[in-house]
Amino acid sequence: MLACLCTVLWHLPAVPALNRTGDPGPGPSIQKTYDLTRYLEHQLRSLAGTYLNYLGPPFNEPDFNPPRLGAETLPRATVNLEVWRSLNDKLRLTQNYEAYSHLLCYLRGLNRQAATAELRRSLAHFCTSLQGLLGSIAGVMAALGYPLPQPLPGTEPAWAPGPAHSDFLQKMDDFWLLKELQTWLWRSAKDFNRLKKKMQPPAASVTLHLEAHGF
Amino acid sequence: MAFSAVLHPAFLLVVLPLKASLSEVLGEPFQLIPEILTVSIQSKLQQVNLQWTVPNLTHQELKMGFQIEISRMNASNIIWVEDYSTTVKRNQVLHWNWKSEIPLECVTHFIRIRAMVDDANYPPQNSWSNWSSWKEVSVQVSVAPNTLLIFPKSKLLEEGSNVTICLLYGQYLYNVSCMLQKEPIHGEQLDSHVSLIKLNNVVFHSHSGTNIYCQAMNATKTPFGTVLFVSKVLEEPKNFSCETQDFKTLKCSWEPGVDTALTWSQQDSQNYTLYESFSGRSELSDHRNSHNWKITEESQETYNFTLTTENNLRKRSVNIIFNLTHRVHLKAPHDVTLETVDAKKANMTWKMHSRGDNYILLCQVELQHETEVIHECNVSVHMSASYLFSDLEPDTEYKARVRCADANHFWKWSDWAQKAFSTPEAAPSQALDVWRQVRSENGSHVVTLFWKPLLKSQANGKIVSYNIVVENQDRPSEAEHYSVQAPALGTQLSLDMCSYKIHITANNSMGVSPESVMALSNDSGHEEVHEKRIKGTKDGFHISWEPLSGDALGYVVDWCAHSRDQHCDLKWKNLGPNTTSTNITSDAFKPGVRYNFRIFEKSVQQNAQLLEKQTGYTQELAPLENPKVIINNFTSNSFILSWPGYDSDFQSAFIEGYRVYLKSKEMQCHPKGKRTSLSDNSVLCEYEIKDPEQKSFTVENLQPESLYEFLVTPYTSAGQGPNETFTKVTTPDENSHMLLKIILPMTLCVLLIVIACYWKSQWVKEKCYPDIPNPYKSSILSLIKSKKNPHLIMNVKDCIPDVLEVINKVEGPKTQCIVSGKPHNEDVSIKPPSSVPTEDGSSGPVPFMFFENFTYDQSAFDSGSHGLNPGPLKDTPGQLGLLTPPDKLLNVLEKDYMKSLAESPTEETSLIYVSQLASPMCGDKDSLVTNSPKPVHCSGYKRQMAVPGRLPSLALSESNSLTSMILLGQGEQ
Repeated sequence: MLACLCTVLWHLPAVPALNRTGDPGPGPSIQKTYDLTRYLEHQLRSLAGTYLNYLGPPFNEPDFNPPRLGAETLPRATVNLEVWRSLNDKLRLTQNYEAYSHLLCYLRGLNRQAATAELRRSLAHFCTSLQGLLGSIAGVMAALGYPLPQPLPGTEPAWAPGPAHSDFLQKMDDFWLLKELQTWLWRSAKDFNRLKKKMQPPAASVTLHLEAHGF
Repeated sequence: MAFSAVLHPAFLLVVLPLKASLSEVLGEPFQLIPEILTVSIQSKLQQVNLQWTVPNLTHQELKMGFQIEISRMNASNIIWVEDYSTTVKRNQVLHWNWKSEIPLECVTHFIRIRAMVDDANYPPQNSWSNWSSWKEVSVQVSVAPNTLLIFPKSKLLEEGSNVTICLLYGQYLYNVSCMLQKEPIHGEQLDSHVSLIKLNNVVFHSHSGTNIYCQAMNATKTPFGTVLFVSKVLEEPKNFSCETQDFKTLKCSWEPGVDTALTWSQQDSQNYTLYESFSGRSELSDHRNSHNWKITEESQETYNFTLTTENNLRKRSVNIIFNLTHRVHLKAPHDVTLETVDAKKANMTWKMHSRGDNYILLCQVELQHETEVIHECNVSVHMSASYLFSDLEPDTEYKARVRCADANHFWKWSDWAQKAFSTPEAAPSQALDVWRQVRSENGSHVVTLFWKPLLKSQANGKIVSYNIVVENQDRPSEAEHYSVQAPALGTQLSLDMCSYKIHITANNSMGVSPESVMALSNDSGHEEVHEKRIKGTKDGFHISWEPLSGDALGYVVDWCAHSRDQHCDLKWKNLGPNTTSTNITSDAFKPGVRYNFRIFEKSVQQNAQLLEKQTGYTQELAPLENPKVIINNFTSNSFILSWPGYDSDFQSAFIEGYRVYLKSKEMQCHPKGKRTSLSDNSVLCEYEIKDPEQKSFTVENLQPESLYEFLVTPYTSAGQGPNETFTKVTTPDENSHMLLKIILPMTLCVLLIVIACYWKSQWVKEKCYPDIPNPYKSSILSLIKSKKNPHLIMNVKDCIPDVLEVINKVEGPKTQCIVSGKPHNEDVSIKPPSSVPTEDGSSGPVPFMFFENFTYDQSAFDSGSHGLNPGPLKDTPGQLGLLTPPDKLLNVLEKDYMKSLAESPTEETSLIYVSQLASPMCGDKDSLVTNSPKPVHCSGYKRQMAVPGRLPSLALSESNSLTSMILLGQGEQ
């Protein structure tokens, strides 16, 4: 019995059903954002498979890993680990928000290329979910008192193919968009997990609700 | 090229003479050299647009011919020559297009033009003008080092067409490999930095295009690629037609064919446009396969439609021309009603949407019963019409339907309009098919009546009940009425032995059916006829018979469908008077089942008389089981096998006989049998019994004490019974019964003697071997008495013993007794006084029990100091310790004891001889040592010894078990 109690107390910080006394703070919304990120990761896996098949070979081949080119306008998710660690909360959230704002916009552009109604439906569903993630990030930023980044004039992403932009490169852009989106979702999960841990209040200030399941 | 080479000199020959005259008219040499204004390129279309003018043209209009030459890579490599004729106006800019099969980005082209007057109104120019200067046609494309450019960047083309892809290599790039989807493709090198890949007969892969991608060594960017958007070939619309229902709208429809849409904004689905030439109207269809065309001009009767379908690559069209009145597809009839006139007639009415009463329509009327069309008729009608259906079945559901078309110009039937209806019931139209089964029971006839249900067409409604009237022929006034409720198909009557006539009818709500009559004579059910065997086929039985009388009304064949079951399920077949054979078929017939048929002849009086009985199988089967055999009269040389018969209804075929198989070691078959072998190669004797009624078999000539195995199996035309396990039997020994007859009585005798002996054992014992012989009872006494000599019996007290001899000594157990005693010398000593527990009342060790022999005691007293005086016993070494082995100990003890007996000085005058024969049992000893507080081990022996004479009474008082003490002395008897 005593061992059980000790175990419970040890794991108290990890119990999500615990409510902090008074203002819950940004913790729950960070958790929600984290969960949404993981859900979108799962959803994208299915969508990307379908869409890359639609693009045809070589884009749907598992070992197709071209160098990133022509997708310079896409926000880049990969970042040096040290740089990532040194990011403050505001910058971290701002980068996420900006990235998904751009990615969402590009993603909507995919819809017009889609041939089948089913693919269009999947894309629309994913866009809605991504819109939700964006709103969720905005919520976290508001809770922490950070202002939302303003879109710079003239930097509104445009996907209209230029005269030199071939259809093959457009397909390549689509490939990179999905790949970058995947990387961003992976990174965001790390970001929000880090934020979540950081925002976690000390264990002593939580009240254990005994109706929690599992006892 | 060849054409121009031939044409050119010929043309010059014709034109040269004319040149002089034209020059004369014009007053100067006539040279109209075209001037190229611009040469532009449409890269996506791979098209060169040439614009030129003819300067110095003085005429308003002049018909001219032009010749255009195109060369590739260098001016001398002419790849295209084309003549172009047109009427040229003054200052007019002329256009001409040329499509290159090679993307123009890859190769430089050159173009030039020349002209010649070709106008009938003017003297022709004697020759071509001079060529314009070469104009270079190229797209400036710079290829960066280590990169590759692929042209066209994307291309829309039709399935089955050819395309040329060109690759432009940048500096330092090498080892380029390209793939189409997943297949490698190879090109031809045009020069050091250009190669061409020609693809013929391209196929459709995906709506999102076919990817061509290349990779190269040393490339900074990879992969490089292009997309070919291969469209399916646009098909011509099929089955294009238009029709009207209401003269307000023309509905045109067609089969559109394959959708040629491509994604990536390359090509939408093909569109469909309708153009009517008389009205000049054109409408784009909203649907892929139909369009509703509004009729705006009522007076227009003829329509000429052109349906055109178009995509980015192709256009196709089909045309129809028709008169509107010939394309009328009427709406389905409405207000359909059905009214039943009686049980067999019904009247249908309907109305049509029509332009007027004068408009004649052709209508098709159908009557369906259970989805089957039973009546079909075409009628000409006006707006409203009716049709009478006759010859309908009573109490039947029907479905009537009607459709119409224009009678003058048949185009299409309208949709059906339908209505379901039912005719009312009518009285049953047919008499019941009845039959009976008669059996005699307790002096009366038990008649079971059967009838078959009427067919629906005969019943004319739901049968409610069956009426039975039983009429006694002997007493006509007495008729009994019975009613059996449907759906029963039979009943049972008990009638006396009179003649009867039975009338049976079926009733429904509308009336009664015609009656069926059967007569019963007083001998019905008693007929005895011979049973004949018949052979059936898998389809059934063919039954034939001999008519009994010439005036038979008909014949009836009946049989049980389930002959093996309790429920017979009687079937019968009515046959006409002139019939003497019939085929009985039934799905219920099974192979291996016996069916019994009875053939009756119906007389004019409706009486049925049994003609014949026939029995048979559709297919005979081998018996499924062997009979259970019983062995009788079992002797050493023979036994009889017997078995019960089979019930004939349960035989799977006619049993033709039995086979008895016998196996033995000797394998000597009886002459009646034969040696045969079974499927398992075992050899045995077979005896065949050809009479199926014989149910026993004697197995003879057997050897005694031998093992025999037998099997009895029936055989039929289809084979014999199953090869079951043989029953084993061993014949008995020949003399065994004799032995039995002797041994048994002898045993009984011996037993009786034993019982008698036991019964008289005491008497015999006393007589033959008493425990203590009584000299007074001895038979010798009679001899003595007879001699009157009383001194023949020796009196002990008269004897003076010279020597005392120990006549018996017991070994073994005494060691144990010694060991169990206390290891003190005085205790272990055989000195009786100290060892007797009664001396001091204490509980000293009592390892021994002493029994005094008063006979000797007395004699000792009597004889004074005569005799042996063994003196007091001394300690012996055998009594020193527990570690000495018992037998050794005993020997030592025994030796010392004998020595002491011999050497001991006489210290005491009296001696007591104690018999050591009496060896008390453990149980006895318990009683002896009851006063001893210490446990006492069993004493296995008793030593006979001399004890002092003064202690006899004490020792005697302890001795109550004198099992083997012999008292020698007088007065002790």
